[in-house]
Amino acid sequence: MTVQECYEKIGGDYEGVCERMMDEARVRKFALKFLADKSYENLVEAYGSGNVEDAFRAAHTLKGVSQNLGFTRLFEVSDEITEALRPLEKVDLSERLAQLKDVYDRTIDAVSQLEEA
Amino acid sequence: MKNKILIVDDAEINREVLADILENEYDILQASNGREALEILKNSRKEISAVLLDLMMPEVDGFAVLEVMKTEGWMENLPVLIISGETSVKAEKRCFEYGVSDFVRKPFDNMLVNRRVNNVVGLYELQKDLQAKVDKQTEKLRIQYKLLQVQAEKLHRTNENIIDILGTVVENRSLESGAHIKHVKGFTRVIAERVLQDYPEYGLTKAKVDIIVSASALHDIGKIAIPDSILLKPGKLNEKEYDYMKSHTTRGCDILDSIEDIWDEEYKKVGYEICRHHHERFDGRGYPDKLAGDDIPISAQIVSVADVYDALISERVYKGAYSKDEAYHMILRGECGVFSPKLMECFRSVKKELEMVAAAQGE
Repeated sequence: MTVQECYEKIGGDYEGVCERMMDEARVRKFALKFLADKSYENLVEAYGSGNVEDAFRAAHTLKGVSQNLGFTRLFEVSDEITEALRPLEKVDLSERLAQLKDVYDRTIDAVSQLEEA
Repeated sequence: MKNKILIVDDAEINREVLADILENEYDILQASNGREALEILKNSRKEISAVLLDLMMPEVDGFAVLEVMKTEGWMENLPVLIISGETSVKAEKRCFEYGVSDFVRKPFDNMLVNRRVNNVVGLYELQKDLQAKVDKQTEKLRIQYKLLQVQAEKLHRTNENIIDILGTVVENRSLESGAHIKHVKGFTRVIAERVLQDYPEYGLTKAKVDIIVSASALHDIGKIAIPDSILLKPGKLNEKEYDYMKSHTTRGCDILDSIEDIWDEEYKKVGYEICRHHHERFDGRGYPDKLAGDDIPISAQIVSVADVYDALISERVYKGAYSKDEAYHMILRGECGVFSPKLMECFRSVKKELEMVAAAQGE
């Protein structure tokens, strides 16, 4: 899968990220690094164990990373979760987390199919 | 050696992206939270050219880092650029209140981040450079100032020496008592200090008073150019001789003119005033220029009173000595010249001091 195809599949901003990172090879390199990013797992784990503060931070990190990588759809969902957690109070996120899981899995799936440069 | 940049962000990808932008021009240090960042800053901040700081981080966050940096005074020499996903203007304002140099929002543009970092680093380097230059210049100036002070002190002593030597020449040449010059100096100081205190309109200062006192030794320097036949004549001078005698004022100025370049302008100017004008009268009937009132330089007015006072209380070939009390009243009654009322006011108020000076110098 090409970088552009990947971004189209996951609802990303291909042109924007290429413009900001200045060339496609760099976009590919950092998109691939996302496979090792642990903020999604951290978010799920912290939320599961009732640690709202850690959950907020993990969501914030996931938001920041996906924003930088131009993963627009993933950014939007994680941004909503971040704002929902910002007051640092217990809140029911099951619906949003299901939505996030869907987008995240699709993103990981597409990114891992990126051709090596 | 490249300048160093410290990147602080909890997400590795974000650090990697920033490092990727900057590693061509800078050596990169990384910290994944505020605590690590502070540790690095504590030990190596002197080698770091800029800090790129995320705000939202576990353990110690970006604001806590700013708080410490501000408290420790590290912000002054080390620029901080915030790289944050925070969209609120409130957070941005808070950062600038801490003194950060820039605030970049995620997602950032690689080229713009690169430019902003370069700008800030360049600015701080320039500032450090300028500060170093200013420090160096200041030190140079301080040394030169000290040297100038030493030279001024030397010059001052030279001036005094010249004046004293000239004064001694007059003493040896004339029939006046050897102590006359010393007396005049003493009386001049007493009167001048009173004028300084009571009549600021004359613009005297402590330094100016010192110069007047010193230069008062020159008041009769012109007498060395008067032939013995006139200068030492025991009897009364005829009109022609008296006219010649009066020329000691202008001859004194000629002598001072001839020793140009050796001494300070201020000394010379005051010496000149005193030589030329110490026989002027307040009513304009003195010599050589018939100056009246305060057209007569205050230096000459003061020395004139001191000179007359000493002449009265000293014994001369042509007269005996008056008592200090008699001399005091003769001057106030206008029997020995016409002086400014202000000066007479001063003279009146320093009667005691003048008498003490005269007594201390064995009259």
